[in-house]
Amino acid sequence: MTTLKLNNIDKFFGVDSSRVQVLKNINFTAKKGEINLVIGPSGSGKSTFLTIAGGLQTPSDGSVVLEGQSLKTLSNKQRDALRLNKIGFILQSYNLIPYLTVKEQFKLVKKIKKNHNLDDHSLNDLMKRLEISNLENKYPGELSGGQSQRVAIARALYTKPDIILADEPTAALDSERVIEVGKIFQKLAREQNTAVIIVTHDLRLAKFADKVYEIMDGSMNLNNELKKKAG
Amino acid sequence: MFLSLKEIKKEKFRYGLIVTMIVMICYLIFILTSLAMGLSSQNTDAINSWNMKSIVLDKDSNTSLSQSLITKNQKKNINLSSKEALIGQASVVAKKSGLKKESAQFLGLNNKQFIAKDLVLTSGKKVNGPHQIVVDEQFKNDGYNLNDKLKFNSNKTEYTIVGFVKNAKLNIAPVIYGNIAAWQNIKNLNDQFVGSAIVSKDANYDANNQQLKTYSKSVFISKLPGYAAQNSTFIFMIGFLMIISLIVIAVFLYILTIQKLQNYAVLRAQGIPAKTLVNATISQSIILVISGLLIGTILTIFTALLIPNSVPMSFNIPILTSVGIGLIFTSLIGSLIPIKLILNVDPVSVIGG
Repeated sequence: MTTLKLNNIDKFFGVDSSRVQVLKNINFTAKKGEINLVIGPSGSGKSTFLTIAGGLQTPSDGSVVLEGQSLKTLSNKQRDALRLNKIGFILQSYNLIPYLTVKEQFKLVKKIKKNHNLDDHSLNDLMKRLEISNLENKYPGELSGGQSQRVAIARALYTKPDIILADEPTAALDSERVIEVGKIFQKLAREQNTAVIIVTHDLRLAKFADKVYEIMDGSMNLNNELKKKAG
Repeated sequence: MFLSLKEIKKEKFRYGLIVTMIVMICYLIFILTSLAMGLSSQNTDAINSWNMKSIVLDKDSNTSLSQSLITKNQKKNINLSSKEALIGQASVVAKKSGLKKESAQFLGLNNKQFIAKDLVLTSGKKVNGPHQIVVDEQFKNDGYNLNDKLKFNSNKTEYTIVGFVKNAKLNIAPVIYGNIAAWQNIKNLNDQFVGSAIVSKDANYDANNQQLKTYSKSVFISKLPGYAAQNSTFIFMIGFLMIISLIVIAVFLYILTIQKLQNYAVLRAQGIPAKTLVNATISQSIILVISGLLIGTILTIFTALLIPNSVPMSFNIPILTSVGIGLIFTSLIGSLIPIKLILNVDPVSVIGG
């Protein structure tokens, strides 16, 4: 059932006197079908945690195990393939390719990962739910912040990933759309058995989460009180 | 290819400017190469039209046709077959009242030898008398007609144009073909001198005379006055232009790639392989350069159609194709320079943390 496991993760940046510990002895487990929310203020180490979990950075100490395989043992090429096939990244600043229309953002992914993506019907359904169906011929520069964020979410879900790693996915959304995104993540987790890990400081997502972690000054603790607080 | 085409489609103005720059570079190189080829061929058109392989000159003439003379005595023991022809050269100024004076190369020929026999006229007939001449078409372009009578320098004798011949240029001057007797008259020589040189279709022809020396066609051409200096000047100009083009195109492609690193980092974070991004960069460079080359070629063709006849331009397709391939190759090198940046792009840079 365990999809992602982070064991005793430490992460340092800099050397000698400028050496800073960003993550301190992090132990974290994400299971299939579960939504994990990691809440913390800016500079608490949320994004570093996410990049290490996604194999974009290596920890200074400790190990990351994804579906039973230690990321340490993988080559760069194997990590690329892992990210493409298993992980869906939703990045903080939407990060859509500016010269591709919404439709072409999906087409590019399909050109690289030819199989096991959402079929046209499911993609249309997802786009409808995210209210972006009418935007498919628009370029990112023509979209609002909220629209871009929803397109970025759809792009990440398009590959039917086993794990969703989302960095502030609701930062630009109003409460109504936060609820819609929360429901989509819930549906993904329940119906497709996807493990969802969201780092955010947006408490509005807490009510959709199965587990809520708090990260502060590089240390992470389970804190389901925050879920209760969010109602 | 998908990424590169989509980016060009979206950023039409930016890529339009880059293609314009490549068009200008291609156009400049093509025009310069064509002018160099045109000037070069005006030095040697007549020589090439004879299909010669070697030439016999006086050994003390410094390989110069105008400094060489062959005497009757020297010729006496020389065996001239159907592959050899005597020529007598004189630099002249041809004039006819009311028309432009022409600095020309008079070449006296023997009617029975191969150069005179093989002459291909565009109009009129071949020389058949001491006062008849066949002239290069430049005379026609400057207003001379068949049956016009010309004089050379201060010589009182009149010569009648009986025919025109195309591409008869020697040392950038139009050629006037006459016979040996006319040449002797123009040079004020008596019949003790039979010509300036013996031209042969045989590469190994030997005149068997100690005062005469055989030179290959290439050596003879390289010693034409000003020919080597002019050609090397053009080769250096074109060479430097190619090097400067490489640097300019490489700098543009480098800047373009730097601007795309943020997008590439996003794609790397998604797991898009570096190979896909490298292919996109290289294919984009090739698309831009080939587009520039095609437009540059069309512009060159239009220029060639509009340019006056007095400007020597020659379009040698194999050489221009090589220049085009050279440009594609240099741009390929230019696009390979920033590849290390693509391979090392850090996906974390777009996530923060």
